[in-house]
Amino acid sequence: MSPAAKPGPDESARLGLRLTLPAQVLVLFISVFPLLMQLYISLTDWSPLSGLAWPRAWEMWNTFANYTDLLSDNRLWSALGRTLLVMAICVPVEFLLGLGLAILFADNFPGKRLLYSILIMPMMVVPAVAGYMFYMLFQSGGPVNDLLSAISGMPVTVAWLSDPTLALAAVMVADIWQWTPLMFLILLAGLVGVPQDQVKAATLLGANAWQRFVTIVLPRMRAIIIIALAIRVIECFKIFDTLFIMTGGGPGVATETISVYIYKITTQDLIWGYVAAIALAILIVLSVACVWAMKRMAK
Amino acid sequence: MSAIRLENLVKRFGAFTALKTMDLAVDDGEFMALLGPSGCGKSTTMNMIAGMERPSEGRILFGDRDMAGVAMGQRGVGFVFQNYAIFTHMSVRQNLSYGLRMGGRPKAEVAQRTGAIADLLQLGDLLDRPAAGLSVNILQRVAIGRSAVMEPAIFLLDEPLSNVDAAFRAVMRTELKQLQRQFRQTMVYVTHDQLEAMTMADRIAVMDHGVLQQVGRPLEIYNDPANLFVARFIGSPGMNLLAGLPLETAAGPVVDLGAIGHSPVLAPAQAAAARRARGAVVYGFRPEQVATVPPGHGMAMPVSFVERIGARTILHLGHGAQGAKAVFENDVGLSPGSMAHLAPIPAAIRLFDAETGVALRGT
Amino acid sequence: MAEIAFRNVTKRYGRTLAVDDASFTVADNEFFCFFGPPLSGKSTILRLILGLEKPDVGEVLIDGRVVNAVSPAARNIAMVFQNLALFPHMTAAGNIRFPLVERGVPELQIRARMADAAEKLHITHILHKFPGQLSGGERQRVAIARALVRDPAAYLMDDPISALDARLREETRVELKRIQREAGRTLIYVTHDQEEAMSVADRMAILEHGAIRQIGTPSQIYDHPATAYVARFLGSPMMNILTATRQGYSVSAAGAAIQLAAPDLTGIASLGLRPEDLRVSPWAGGTGSPATVIEVEPLGGHTVVTLEAGGTRLRAMLRGQPDIRVSAQVALTCDPARVHYFGDSGETLRPSHQGGSE
Repeated sequence: MSPAAKPGPDESARLGLRLTLPAQVLVLFISVFPLLMQLYISLTDWSPLSGLAWPRAWEMWNTFANYTDLLSDNRLWSALGRTLLVMAICVPVEFLLGLGLAILFADNFPGKRLLYSILIMPMMVVPAVAGYMFYMLFQSGGPVNDLLSAISGMPVTVAWLSDPTLALAAVMVADIWQWTPLMFLILLAGLVGVPQDQVKAATLLGANAWQRFVTIVLPRMRAIIIIALAIRVIECFKIFDTLFIMTGGGPGVATETISVYIYKITTQDLIWGYVAAIALAILIVLSVACVWAMKRMAK
Repeated sequence: MSAIRLENLVKRFGAFTALKTMDLAVDDGEFMALLGPSGCGKSTTMNMIAGMERPSEGRILFGDRDMAGVAMGQRGVGFVFQNYAIFTHMSVRQNLSYGLRMGGRPKAEVAQRTGAIADLLQLGDLLDRPAAGLSVNILQRVAIGRSAVMEPAIFLLDEPLSNVDAAFRAVMRTELKQLQRQFRQTMVYVTHDQLEAMTMADRIAVMDHGVLQQVGRPLEIYNDPANLFVARFIGSPGMNLLAGLPLETAAGPVVDLGAIGHSPVLAPAQAAAARRARGAVVYGFRPEQVATVPPGHGMAMPVSFVERIGARTILHLGHGAQGAKAVFENDVGLSPGSMAHLAPIPAAIRLFDAETGVALRGT
Repeated sequence: MAEIAFRNVTKRYGRTLAVDDASFTVADNEFFCFFGPPLSGKSTILRLILGLEKPDVGEVLIDGRVVNAVSPAARNIAMVFQNLALFPHMTAAGNIRFPLVERGVPELQIRARMADAAEKLHITHILHKFPGQLSGGERQRVAIARALVRDPAAYLMDDPISALDARLREETRVELKRIQREAGRTLIYVTHDQEEAMSVADRMAILEHGAIRQIGTPSQIYDHPATAYVARFLGSPMMNILTATRQGYSVSAAGAAIQLAAPDLTGIASLGLRPEDLRVSPWAGGTGSPATVIEVEPLGGHTVVTLEAGGTRLRAMLRGQPDIRVSAQVALTCDPARVHYFGDSGETLRPSHQGGSE
């Protein structure tokens, strides 16, 4: 290669294209191909029990019947509703707790490093292990009830995981415990990035702590807050491991979220054509929602 | 109510003492400059006046009121940061009106006062523009306006012109001075540029390494520096300082300047000062206060360098510790390598004790 | 050894014209200064010389050879950046020897050159320290030493001392001049401080919006500016530029408050008076233009007085510490030979019968 001449813009682009070709092929295989396969199957009645190999699924073609079915599938919609309920409670609670902790950690206090390590730990626990942990904690003779008895003075023997409403509450507690640290970390990073000079200037102009928080700190954290919320909303929508180990989706369908539902019909009922349709529908809806949210953020 | 008094002020950061026992009085309505090189403690002093730092010892009074325990939001001071600290996520109008809005002033009053300050600082057209992305010159005025609109009795400015380009600096100096005159606020201005201090201040407090060196009117400090540091720091170039020994000769009292020879005979005031010396002295004269003389008279010094800067010519004479500079209005026709014969104006000579650095005075 | 030249170089970024048909020649061993306001193209010109950019039109020449296609490394030019770009994880010594180690220079030579550069810049005693432990002035000198050891064909410096204290700037610019003389290499220097430019440059170029308005020695440009723009740029305080009209045998400015004998020129649109050329004396009703003192700035060695005459503001620079008070009435005079006249588009008007110099 001659060192004398700098490559022009076209040459650079072509070289770049060639160098990334292997990665492009890989991405094609991993995401695009499975997506197309899913689309194909979702338009059929195919199931592994049908005796056909998947490329021949076209023989069970049902053209969008899966999609119309899912619109009237009550169990699907309750699962979706439950998922949205969990999201609507967990994410805001995690956000507020995480924000509170981040504000606490903005200043120095004795034992800060120790507390920091302790706070991070829930995030590092394997979700399945967390599931078992909370399963044991929420037993009728378990530590949660013992604690409540000690506090209230009366014996408390609530059967958390057998009661439909309480089971949902227990699952939410587990999620909040596990993921507040993530919110805390992201929001702390955002908080630290707020220029201190501007905060000082605001103080000198007479703003009190709350005014400074609302007019200076929060606006400057806007981008980070949006990222934190987006991450958690998307993940919470997919909530599965911890919940499944704790309750298995029960009692009955009381804690059946959308992921649990899909899991069940995939592994138990084996109607994979229908499952593909559900999965694709969710993907499309979520993508549209994401793009819309991004556009709003860019404004 | 807006005079400032600093009494026995000390500030330590761990083992490091940034400010050592400072006493200073700023009169009501005065423009006081805190002048000194980086690290001299001027910004620390100002931060303590604003309430951003707490004194390790001593106290700060606004009028008769001790400011100990008064939080920085309650002191009623205006503060302009070196990098302006503009709220870049707000518009110019929102920046200017911030203090009024946080103070809960009625909307009509906020609008009227914001408009007035915007007109005064020629920001009227830019009010609804986002503050981010505006030029440094405009941000400067927004920073000042934001504090000025609160009509503080005391205004603190921390090197506000250091980020501004040279041409605009001269314009802003005039504007700031006129603003201060108009509103009669007490202004404390931190700078490392002696030209800025001399141009703008009613009085200057010169500082070095946490110690106050001298306080006085610009010309007082220029004409009668209290010690070697002030003599060197004020003036562009600073005062020439040559080591020497007082000597009584047949012609009269002189200072023996070693290789350069004898100084011209000292005038009575300077001779009296020389007599008070207990040993070696430093012979000081300003580069602008010399005249060329025929060879054989005055001091002979070789020219090492010539700077021709527009209206002035600066001659660099001699080398190292016994070097000096002379400033002339026009080209004196001397080039590097030739010999310059100069005599300082007798009344302008200043003598300093070589050991302590303190100025020697006749009385 | 390097003579650096531009022939009709133009450079655009998108639709912005960064450099507009620039031509100049920097002689070998010359201290050449590019001077102009921010965004006038100074940094772009440096980048073109260095080879980080290619001209859209025109040629860059080094020692008579066209080097448009030559890579920066091959051009052998050392640059000191405004933000210094010192490696924080290396000592000062490590930073300085870095370019030589990169080029595989033998160790003995590295030591010799480093010692030489350190001595020239008075930093021998801090070579073992890290950039974080050094003052601004010391870091500056380490950055300059790093360029010095490379022994390149030419040096480029982009506003290297603007971040220093005022006092340190005055001292360092004299040092730089001395070092350039001793090193015997071409030095191309960019600054927006007019005093600095006039002090260090052998010759300088004034830039406006990417175009070169004038090239010459500082004295030439100061005494004979090509345009009103150039005239205003050099000299502090700035030259007073007033609209002027010719009325028969005299030229009138400042709302008729200032009257001068008309020179042998046509097309006068404005005139310029340097503050140091104005003389001020108490108003006695005789010669001179009447003016009122608005502001007095005592600077010790001289005094800057702002005056108002006929509704126009002017600044005068007086020697020493004259006794002048605000709102005093004074008489303003000026040597007619030192008045500059400008035409409609700001170009300096020169008498036609002389050879183009006053």
